[in-house]
Amino acid sequence: MSAWLSHEGDTSFAQALSRYTLPQILTKQVERLGSSEKAIRKKSLGVWEALTWVDYLDYMKKTALGLMSLGLRRKESVGIITGNEPEWLFSELAAQALGAVTINLFTTAAAEEIQGALERVQASYVIVQDQEQVDKLLDVREQLPFVRKVIYVDRTGMRTYGDEPWLISFYDLLQISEPNETEQARLFEEELWKGQPEDVAIMTLTSGTTGVPKLAMLTHHNFTEMARNWMETVAISPGDNWISITPPAWIVDQSFGLGVTLCAGMTVNFPETEETVTEDFREIGPTILIAPARFWEDMASKIRVKISDSSFVKRKLFELSEKIGTAVTEREANNQPLPLYLRLLKRCASLVVNRPLLDRIGCSQFKVALTGGHPISPDVIRFFRSKGLNLKQCYGLTEGGGIFQVQPDEEVKPETVGKPLPGVTVRIAEDQEVLVSTSTAFLGYYQNPEATEASFMDGWLCTGDAGYIDGDGHLLIIGRKQDIMRTREGDAFSPDFIETRLKFSPYVKEVVIFGESRPYITALVNIDMGNVGNWAEDRMIPYTTYTDLSQQPAVQELIMGEVRHVNHQLPDPMKIHKMVLLYKLLDADDEELTRTGKVRRGLVAERYDPLIQAMYTDRSQIEVRGEVRYRDGQVGTIITRVTLLTVEEGKLS
Amino acid sequence: MKAFRGQPTIFSSPRTEKRQAELQVKEIYLSFGGVIALANVDFSVRTGELISLIGPNGAGKTSMLNCITGYYHPQKGSILFNGTDLTRRPPHEVTKQGIGRTFQNIELFPGMTVISNILLARHLFCTYGVGKASLFVGSAREEELRQRRLLEELIDFLEMHSIRKQAVGSLPYGLQKRVELGRALALEPKLLVLDEPFAGMTLEEREDMVRFLLELNHGWGQTMILVEHDMSIVMSISQRVVVLNFGRKIAEGAPQEILDHPEVVKAYLGEDEDNEEESRYHECLAKS
Repeated sequence: MSAWLSHEGDTSFAQALSRYTLPQILTKQVERLGSSEKAIRKKSLGVWEALTWVDYLDYMKKTALGLMSLGLRRKESVGIITGNEPEWLFSELAAQALGAVTINLFTTAAAEEIQGALERVQASYVIVQDQEQVDKLLDVREQLPFVRKVIYVDRTGMRTYGDEPWLISFYDLLQISEPNETEQARLFEEELWKGQPEDVAIMTLTSGTTGVPKLAMLTHHNFTEMARNWMETVAISPGDNWISITPPAWIVDQSFGLGVTLCAGMTVNFPETEETVTEDFREIGPTILIAPARFWEDMASKIRVKISDSSFVKRKLFELSEKIGTAVTEREANNQPLPLYLRLLKRCASLVVNRPLLDRIGCSQFKVALTGGHPISPDVIRFFRSKGLNLKQCYGLTEGGGIFQVQPDEEVKPETVGKPLPGVTVRIAEDQEVLVSTSTAFLGYYQNPEATEASFMDGWLCTGDAGYIDGDGHLLIIGRKQDIMRTREGDAFSPDFIETRLKFSPYVKEVVIFGESRPYITALVNIDMGNVGNWAEDRMIPYTTYTDLSQQPAVQELIMGEVRHVNHQLPDPMKIHKMVLLYKLLDADDEELTRTGKVRRGLVAERYDPLIQAMYTDRSQIEVRGEVRYRDGQVGTIITRVTLLTVEEGKLS
Repeated sequence: MKAFRGQPTIFSSPRTEKRQAELQVKEIYLSFGGVIALANVDFSVRTGELISLIGPNGAGKTSMLNCITGYYHPQKGSILFNGTDLTRRPPHEVTKQGIGRTFQNIELFPGMTVISNILLARHLFCTYGVGKASLFVGSAREEELRQRRLLEELIDFLEMHSIRKQAVGSLPYGLQKRVELGRALALEPKLLVLDEPFAGMTLEEREDMVRFLLELNHGWGQTMILVEHDMSIVMSISQRVVVLNFGRKIAEGAPQEILDHPEVVKAYLGEDEDNEEESRYHECLAKS
């Protein structure tokens, strides 16, 4: 074993990474870790099954040989529309090993979206999850003459498609060729080592809160540099657990779930199904995770709801531990030493409440838990940190190759997104835009030189976010640059800033703030059906549908209380004056949200214009007619009467 | 990692000899006191068929199922299953012959988990005794692991992953019905008897159930008798339909034949034929 490969030589290992492509690194990891460490775990038929690094390479190779036999050539592209499954990793690395580029799409995307993306990259093969995705592709088959084969992972329900030559199962793909056959194996090795770190590895759809999504191209070098930055920042080591729960089409599971885990030798864990994530999460106890803000917000509100339903003693203990936690984190944030009594209390709280609680939600093993993708309420961060969970904010973007900004362990501030990773420089432009210079910055947009040019300024990558750097060198993100708004009086406000604070309430699912060039600020609110529903049931308030529940006077009063609470924390010009509890949930199927769950503000403003207009009049009720699009493409109509609520200054409940 | 490691082990290859299910019901007569529940009903089921038993309320559908599964013992007539006479056998013996059933009203153990409820049906296939079971050694251990694996394949097939450890009583009605189907399937029945599996379900739950039944019938070659009121489902999935009315068989045949059968129309709409109502009936059935 060369020094390059030894465990002691981890730094040189990290350094050497940049000389290889991702599939090449897999072979290096096999030499380094072999069958001593687990590379992949997947829960299947109720049991966690593990693959070692040797198995990982073996399956990747089989997949590659299968694709090669089907006829995949260098420079072609492969579409991948899978959930969080090991097959995703095999396919992606296999295609890259053969010099092809992969593009991951969301499994929830509609047929036209998929067809559009596949057409732009002229994908020759598409690897899909199941019957649902196959059906979508069959629907638009006419427009996909360049797709030579569709490979499906899950065979459930596929029996009736038996003799369709366009389709082949992943299982059959693996059987096509024998990896021990020398000629095939030689060809594979040849193709594998032809790969250069500067080659494009993946194309990924930028989440596109505005306009048509663009295709960002990321190279192998971007991935390895990202991994190196991370390995230098967090003590990740082989055997550490990553749990793959965000969609593979999102940059986080690409750069971390594929890149960092591969380079650092971590274990990637795949839950059994989407519905069992909570349970599987607990069984794994991941050591590192980057999840969207929504994930943590959901978890926090679930804990709060559960606690409020528990017995008197538990409730009191929880409250007590919260007080202790707050006192401790405040002192730590200000770098004050902890007095002895507080240290003792912290111990007790941890023993009695916090440790069991963290264990219960599967968070007891974390080295670092991160939240990104969307601003999170500082209250959520404080909540988890006071429980002893090392939850921090991070910041990054697809074009930057993933996350490049994170809070150092010693100086965690709930409001900021921390400091740049090593090798990354961040500065603020005159118009407050955050600019970044990093070796992980993307190559450019596919077939879109204008957009590529526009995203770089003198070699700095423009993030499109507005922010500032505080006295300690921490970056604060105010919101999207184009989203910073001014009221008619000229007061600047960030809708995001208000929205994230209001979303901390367990009863609020989504909020959209309006007020640009208007006399005051207004809000469209989506209530959380589950939590508000339970609240209503406990108070014997009868309701039928979401629409009905949202217009119950008691519910309106409840949400009003939450808004008052938030208003209390906001400066006067940013206070919410009027709001409407929306009669339907904002939904990605109606194009109101992106597939990662971000609000498409422009579209929402346009669609609900009559409601928003009405909030700037004296009316107290308005008749509305809305459309709901169902998964199968049907469109339904909702006609209802919506109350316009004025938020009065009142006592805090 | 079933997807890339191959097919499930147990229910994968439906060997026809294991699946043989030839049922012959001959001139069954069943009465309770003066009430004649079934009068000289005969029909047959062949291996791999999905047949439906329909009829207005009180027609004797469930009574017929109860006769087949041994809950009722008819006064006259005989029931032959794969050549064995089942006419006056108790339910547990009928089960051993390879007939599994679900009930109209859910008959599960509400306090037990989904796993325990389904596992219970597997006791037929357990060979170890109390001693070995309590020590959990040797063959008992192997056997339990095998049973659990089979159970997990059922859970996977019926998409019950997220509820496997929940108490059945806390589940929504539609899911309970699914658990009951799982329990019946755990018996590895040659003939599956389903008593109103769609009753009280939401549209989505019905669609799921139809998917499971079709997959069972087409994919596994499962023979099934279905009693159901939802005509659109009956007509779209059954290969043959038997119609009962007041304990008599009034029609038998392919779904289309049944739709046009004058006796059936009369049974469902009454003697006084109203053209408007009849056209609505046909319209409703045509939707299927």
